[in-house]
Amino acid sequence: MLPSGVHFRDHAEELRLLRTVPQRIAMVALLLALAAFPFVASAYVVGLAITVAITIVAVAGLQITVGMAGLLNLGQSAFVGVGAFTAAALYANYNVPMLPSIALAGLASGAVSIVFSLPAIRIRGLYLALTTIAAQIVFPVVVLRLPTGWFGGSAGIGIDRVQIFGLAIETPSTFYFVAVGVMIVMLLIAFNLQRSHVGLAFRAIRDNDIASSVLGVQLGKYKIMAFFAGAVFAGVAGGLYAFYIRYVTTDQFTIWLSIWYLGMLIVGGLSGPLGAILGTLVVTVLQEAIHWGGNRMMTAVPQLSGGVIFSVTNIVLGAAIIYMLIREPHGLNHRWSVLKSAYRIWPYPRA
Amino acid sequence: MDLLQIAIEGTLTGLVYGLVALAFVVIFRASRIVNLAQGQLVLVGAYVMGTLLTQLPASMAIVLALAASVLIGVAIERFVFRPLIGQPVFSIVMASIGLLILLQGLVQLLWGAQTRPFAAVLPEGSWSLDTLLINKRLLIGGGITIVAVEALRIFFLKTRIGLRLAAVAEDHFVALSLGVSVEASTRIAWAAGAFLSTLAAMILLSGNVLGLQAGDIGLRALPVALLGGLESLRGAVLAGVIVGVGEALAARYLDPMTGGAMSQIFPFMLMIVVLLVRPQGLFGWKVIERL
Repeated sequence: MLPSGVHFRDHAEELRLLRTVPQRIAMVALLLALAAFPFVASAYVVGLAITVAITIVAVAGLQITVGMAGLLNLGQSAFVGVGAFTAAALYANYNVPMLPSIALAGLASGAVSIVFSLPAIRIRGLYLALTTIAAQIVFPVVVLRLPTGWFGGSAGIGIDRVQIFGLAIETPSTFYFVAVGVMIVMLLIAFNLQRSHVGLAFRAIRDNDIASSVLGVQLGKYKIMAFFAGAVFAGVAGGLYAFYIRYVTTDQFTIWLSIWYLGMLIVGGLSGPLGAILGTLVVTVLQEAIHWGGNRMMTAVPQLSGGVIFSVTNIVLGAAIIYMLIREPHGLNHRWSVLKSAYRIWPYPRA
Repeated sequence: MDLLQIAIEGTLTGLVYGLVALAFVVIFRASRIVNLAQGQLVLVGAYVMGTLLTQLPASMAIVLALAASVLIGVAIERFVFRPLIGQPVFSIVMASIGLLILLQGLVQLLWGAQTRPFAAVLPEGSWSLDTLLINKRLLIGGGITIVAVEALRIFFLKTRIGLRLAAVAEDHFVALSLGVSVEASTRIAWAAGAFLSTLAAMILLSGNVLGLQAGDIGLRALPVALLGGLESLRGAVLAGVIVGVGEALAARYLDPMTGGAMSQIFPFMLMIVVLLVRPQGLFGWKVIERL
């Protein structure tokens, strides 16, 4: 809801992502803050921010498949893995530059997702989640069995020197700009997809697949497209991950990671890409708070170990998911839009 | 003879998968809750029983662990799924993902990550029948599975309470307006589901090593339940046998060529092919959808 006095002269103005001057000012301020961030934050926090940016891309992809199209995906981390291996192999073995490797990683992941989403032409609902579990199980099995010249087998692939446009990337703060830049591009795609006719078709399928097929949405095609779009995001996230960590093995991409991605998305809210951003941020902050508290406690209580901190993190995330579903089923995303409209029409009470 | 031996081993392992899938199906059939935390339910049951076995005589420990699992099931219903009655199916699936993460974290916190021995409560070794060897533990487990599935069938099809559960599975709102308590049904579903999961944990782990990977069985049971059809009790067990035998055959005849890959991939290939032909699973209810 917008405050009174804001009006649009044509439909195109109303459809813009940033519709009012204050929104544009806020966006510029946010971009400036993001650009200034690595110069003020410590190396640890910058590293964390890179991880968050990569995770946001993967979770935004999950939001397209699960949130927009309503198709449960339990194998997102396998698609991230496909992207990571593709990018690392292209860069290390074939000297493809970094940004094209990341883009190709996205496409490779998308191509693999088509194989696993083909059954969507006949299979519906929860039964479809099975093929995503299959992707998750098959991924390490296949990567480990392929010739070691392709993806390094069980040893994985390492990347020695990371270069962009001939400039070497030595420090995390330099890579921060690559990761955040790619994240912004991907988020722009996600926000635009949401309001395109494809995004509307996804939402129609989610709300009622039979009704939407009666209205002319080709179910099989759009379901495959929803998996494809989600997997492209996962692949790009994987590509970024490969260049950040510089070492890729299959055990970095477990089903547990897929479940965590889903957890972040539920906490943030399934209804829009903003949910992916909020969920990833909040879960990461929670995780860091538990780590920080745990490390402080460890000095006092020596029996405490890293395993305890990890398990407490799981308990908190699990409880947060259940709490959110019971108390705030639309996620933080919804809470955010409620806050925003309350701010805009202040001092009048909420409509 | 070799083939027969493989088939027998596959069948017996498959019956354990079937028991875990049965727990999944019971929860779905009685409450329309898709329980993705099935593996973690087995995990919790396994740790509770494993710990009790170190303190108490076997029979007492088993009875206490099964009683405890019923209580855990009731608690899950009370605190996680009762507040979600009437919410869309998708939210409930998401809640089960939350439960999955929560239970895994709890087990890690209470018992730690290191593995521990699980006392042998079922007989070890094998009976030999001519040249065939039959694993005693798995044969008894298979017997338990078959008794469980037949008892559940009678419960669901012949008793008044069981028929009420079917009404809840059909539609929460219709059930409520007919005066059927969705809460009570969901409670029974979770108590039974947790009970069966603990039984499965006992068969699976007796005399083995207990660790966090015990929860991985859920990853196998979910596809088995989908293959059998989410509503079918006998289907779950039969699908378990199909997957078990398929896995054993693939391990024997295809793994040497593919470096051990086929036995892991084969069950999924089989299931996807079956679902392409029968999208509702082998014995699932074919629902006629209306707008």
